Amino acid sequence: MSRDWWLKFSFLVAVCIGSALLVYPTVGKVDLEKTKLPFKQKINLGLDLQGGVYMVLGVDFNRVFRDNVDRQAAGIEQAGKDKADLGIKSVKAIREGLAADDPHLVVEFDPAQTQKISDWLKNDYSWTLRRVAESSGKIELGISSQFREKIRSDTITQSIEVVRNRIDEFGVTEPVITSQGADRLVVELPGVKDVERAKELIGRTASLEFKMLAETVMTEPQVIQMVEEVKRSQNLEFKEGDKLSAYTAKINEAVKSKIPENTEIVFGREEVMPGADPRSGRLTPYLLYRKADVTGQELQDASVGFNPDDNRPEVDFTLNPRGAVLFEKMSGENIGKSMAIVLDNIVHSVPRFQTKIPNGRVRITLGGNRSYDQVQKEANDLAIVLRAGALPAQLDFLEQRVIGPSLGADSIKKGAMASMIGTLLVFLFVLFYYRLSGAIAVVSLILNVLFVLALLVSLEATLTLPGIAGIALTVGIAVDSNVVIYERIREELRAGKRPGGAVEAGFQKAFRTILDANITNAAASIVLMVYGTGPIKGFAVTLLIGIVTTLFTAVFVCRLMFDAYLKRLEARNAATLSI
Amino acid sequence: MFEIIKPGTTFDIVGKRHVFVWGSIIAIAITFALFFTKGLNYGIDFTGGAEVQVKLPASWDTGKLRAELEAGGIKHAKIQEIALGGETGAVTERQYLVKAQGDENSLKAISQGVQDIIGKTLKAGEFEMMRVDVVGPAAGADLRKRGFLSMVYALICILLYVTLRFDARYSPGAVLALFHDTALTVGFFVITQKQFDLQILAAILALIGYSNNDTIIVFDRVRETLHLHPRLSIEQAVNKAVNETLGRTMLTSLSTFLSVFALWAFGGAVIRDFAVTLMFGIAVGTYSSVFIASSLVIFLTHYMEKKKTGAPGKPKKQYQVRPEPKFQ
Repeated sequence: MSRDWWLKFSFLVAVCIGSALLVYPTVGKVDLEKTKLPFKQKINLGLDLQGGVYMVLGVDFNRVFRDNVDRQAAGIEQAGKDKADLGIKSVKAIREGLAADDPHLVVEFDPAQTQKISDWLKNDYSWTLRRVAESSGKIELGISSQFREKIRSDTITQSIEVVRNRIDEFGVTEPVITSQGADRLVVELPGVKDVERAKELIGRTASLEFKMLAETVMTEPQVIQMVEEVKRSQNLEFKEGDKLSAYTAKINEAVKSKIPENTEIVFGREEVMPGADPRSGRLTPYLLYRKADVTGQELQDASVGFNPDDNRPEVDFTLNPRGAVLFEKMSGENIGKSMAIVLDNIVHSVPRFQTKIPNGRVRITLGGNRSYDQVQKEANDLAIVLRAGALPAQLDFLEQRVIGPSLGADSIKKGAMASMIGTLLVFLFVLFYYRLSGAIAVVSLILNVLFVLALLVSLEATLTLPGIAGIALTVGIAVDSNVVIYERIREELRAGKRPGGAVEAGFQKAFRTILDANITNAAASIVLMVYGTGPIKGFAVTLLIGIVTTLFTAVFVCRLMFDAYLKRLEARNAATLSI
Repeated sequence: MFEIIKPGTTFDIVGKRHVFVWGSIIAIAITFALFFTKGLNYGIDFTGGAEVQVKLPASWDTGKLRAELEAGGIKHAKIQEIALGGETGAVTERQYLVKAQGDENSLKAISQGVQDIIGKTLKAGEFEMMRVDVVGPAAGADLRKRGFLSMVYALICILLYVTLRFDARYSPGAVLALFHDTALTVGFFVITQKQFDLQILAAILALIGYSNNDTIIVFDRVRETLHLHPRLSIEQAVNKAVNETLGRTMLTSLSTFLSVFALWAFGGAVIRDFAVTLMFGIAVGTYSSVFIASSLVIFLTHYMEKKKTGAPGKPKKQYQVRPEPKFQ
């Protein structure tokens, strides 16, 4: 055999050994910790094979934009106070009649300062705001498109971080959290069975706000009465399964004229009897000031502690230095008044300030009527969620799929078995039809599968159930390449060429056809990969890998083996190719 | 050498092409009619909804399951028994698919409700929630849009590629053949009313890529034949080419069919419909490459001749052939 051949052959052997080493940890029973093998990775199994939870979450940007405009409005207002020469009279955020994702703010100022205002806005706010409308003494601004983009991408990145933090605490091995498109998150939690808890953990906005009760405006009984009236007159009863946030918005809309603009109604839930669904508790309305003096941003730590009075679990917060100062101020200015601790827009508790609280430590005691375990669990989860940070935006659950573990194991078993039988059938067929050349094809097909698995492991791609089918399909398609080459060789032999020439011509002429076929396969697979998710994506990736390996084995490996075969024929002076 | 088609045999495929083409046109028309009337049995991936796959003891038949669910308040669910297949001996358990639709809030209540209702009557070890899928209606509509868009993109990519590789006579033929395959496969699902979900769509996309192979094999040979025998009419050339590649076409399809057949027979319930899609698609794809794509090439050749000369083209005209690209 020529030196060229030996070089190629050694290359092939090296690739085979490498692949075998990559694949062995998956198929052999290898303990990943103790092994001395160079590659310590098992193949990544998709959710449909492992069992677990798959969720698609939609990010609600509207609220984020609203909060941002509110914050900018507050900033401009503050600047107006600091720089009296700007002549700013008032700053208001408005949402009436505007698209939900495009709130505006209106600045009213002394018309004489129009130029100054214009310059100042251009200096400080040109990147974040855009002019919507102007008139004498009034200017309306909205969020600029580039800032909007930044907010969007920042929100997504932050959401992913927060979700990741929460899941870490949950103790899931190898969770996958990615963004999809412009406004979605995909979360995959292999091995998790308690969906509801996972959803609770992930979906809670966990926005923590301390707001003062507007007791001087209306007393609590007056608030309750007002809300009851509105409920009756406008038929706004809270139904089971309604979203509380939507309901709260509706009520606030209905009482708008009756309450001052800087206040809002927020509901709290009453305690329920032990064993009952906590969500069936009656809703109590509270009138709170909109402004949150202290928020979750000032939270330094949250942990589970025990109330010394009755030994029940509670959540202890510690605020950071800035938060401690704010809280001290808040408590000092409001002695004798009540503060609402608002979690996810639901009033959790309403403690009264007896004294100024200087050290930034707050306690939330959790509901008294449930079992100790339930309360403990809730305390734990609440602490986790607070520690990991608040979600910058609300997440809606668009899709969720839970695969039980036995379905996964079952699928692997059946899928692998079917693929092997299919491959075996193909082998038999090829051996029967092409005899020794068929044997060559069989060897190249076996190597093909080995390479596919090795590439899956090394690229850390995920193997899903359709992916297993994809491997079987790849074998079927790989045989096509062999058939194309062999039929061509047969034709050349019929036309009178000698074995060597026929093989040469066969490979040459067939190459272009094989390339075309595989390129069109690849095109469809790429489209599938871009548009697919989850198991489908796994299928597309497996097919693509299969196309690459097929090209390699059908052309390079087969050719190598044929060259060896031809040499053997030559040595024995035989003239017929077994094909 | 063992030959499935003896070399030198010639079937008159081209002569009877009108039969095949008209047959296909009628089949596609029927598919369209049914698609817009009966419609596909979309899975929850595309319509949104909740789907629960549950394993129950054999004593629970469809009627009992429905009765239990209705008693528990779940009234409009579709219940389908999943044929497990491959089981020997007495049936010890059954698997059911419970499908329900509604808006987002009721879906979650339903998926939880199914678990609760069954859990009340049976003990923990006697039943198992194999899979619970909830797709919000907005997400479902989105997936459907993306799904069909992806089919369109794949077809466009292939159209572009074939146009590059061959000339204008061939590419419409290839794409129409693919469209023909896709339409008939979708028609298969309309007629059998099997569940059409994301997995099936993936299979169809894989088919779009795959069934083009046969077509390209035939076209390659047509072009080569025209090149080597320029005095043949297009009909004769195509017939010769198709016959010469018939063996190869059937073999490649057979080999792929074998591996997919094993998936269908042994792969379990989850993969079975996926495999059926591929099997049907491979069969139709082979048929279209041999009978339809070739006919379209002939039709287009005459059509372009007519446009060039402005007179009805005579079949025996000399034709300018683009030389096959050198690949060294």
